[in-house]
Amino acid sequence: MTSNYIYLSILVATIATYSCRAFGVFSSRNLSTESPIFHWIKCVSIGIISAVITKIILFPSVGLLIESTLESRIISTLVALAVYFLFKKNVIVSIFVSTMTFLLINFYL
Amino acid sequence: MFTSLSFRQGIKHAMGIPAVGLGSSMFAFGAYLKSSGFDLFQSFASSFFTFALPGQFVMAETLVAGGTLLNIFLAVFLTNARLYPMTVNLIPVIRHPHYPKWKYYILAHFVAVTSWFNMFAIHKTLPQEEKFDYFLGLGGFLWANSILCTVLGFLISDFVSHEILVGLVFINPMYFLVMTISNLVEKKLITSILLGSFFSIILFYLIPDWSIVISGLLSGTIGFFIFRKESNDQ
Repeated sequence: MTSNYIYLSILVATIATYSCRAFGVFSSRNLSTESPIFHWIKCVSIGIISAVITKIILFPSVGLLIESTLESRIISTLVALAVYFLFKKNVIVSIFVSTMTFLLINFYL
Repeated sequence: MFTSLSFRQGIKHAMGIPAVGLGSSMFAFGAYLKSSGFDLFQSFASSFFTFALPGQFVMAETLVAGGTLLNIFLAVFLTNARLYPMTVNLIPVIRHPHYPKWKYYILAHFVAVTSWFNMFAIHKTLPQEEKFDYFLGLGGFLWANSILCTVLGFLISDFVSHEILVGLVFINPMYFLVMTISNLVEKKLITSILLGSFFSIILFYLIPDWSIVISGLLSGTIGFFIFRKESNDQ
C-alpha cells in the first residue's frame, strides 16, 4: 500500500462519488418540482437512504462498527426510535440515549 | 454569494446538531484512517474530495483488503449511488435563473444525506432566489466541518478511547435514522422508507453489492405508484 496508491484510491473514490452528483445535476436540467418524476425520484432517494441505514445497522461490512454486536445495534436503534417519539421528536435526546445504550451494551455490561 | 444573508443563515443552520451528527463520525473516520496506515494529508484529501462517509469507509476498507482500483471504484460507486437521485431531487428545488449552470456542478459536491434532509426541512420557508446561497452555506459548512473533524480525529485519536471512537461512528447512522423518520408525513415516503429497509435485508443475502441501489429503486417505485394520487408535500 504505497503512498501513491492511496492517493490513486482517493482519486478513484472521488470520481465514483462525484460522477453520481454531477450526473444528478445533468439529469435534473429539465426537471420541474411539479413533475411526477420529481416525486418518484424523492421516493427512490429516501428508499435508498433507508436501505443504507438498514445495511449499516444490520450488516456493517466495514469500519469500526464491525466490533459491536448485532444485538447492541438493534436494541440501540429501537431505543432511538422510542425516545424520538416519547420525547416529542427531540433529535439530541434520541441520539444521545441510543449512543449511550450502544456503548453500555458493547463495552460496559 | 458568500456575503449574502441567506449564505450566513445556511451556515447557522448547519452549526449544532447537523454538524455534530456528521462531524462525530468524521472524527472517528480520521482515527480509523490513521490506524489503517493513511497519513494526515491523505485523510484530509479523502474528506475534502469525496465527502460521503459510507463511501469513504468502503474506499479505505477495500484498499486495506488489497482491492484493485476497479474494486474500489465499483464498491464506492454502489455505496454512494444514492447521491444521484438525491441530487436530481435537490437541484430543481434550489434552481434559480440568476445562477449559471456550472455553479450547480460545484454546489453538487455538498449534496450529502445531512445537507439534503436539512435543506428539504427548510426550503419551503425560503424565497426561491435565496435557496442557492442557503444551501451553499449549509452544505459548505458541513463539508468544511467534516474535513476539520477528519483531521482532528487523525491527530488526537491517541487521546480518545477506542470504545468512544466506536460510539462516535454509531452517531451518524442514528442521526440519519432520526432525519429519515422525521419524513414520516406522506404515505408514499413512509412506504418507501419501510420497503427500502425490508428489501435491503432480503436482497443483502441475494445480491449484497447491489442490494442498496435495487432496494431504493423498488421501494421508491412501489411507494410512488401506490400513493401517486396523494397530494405532494415536496
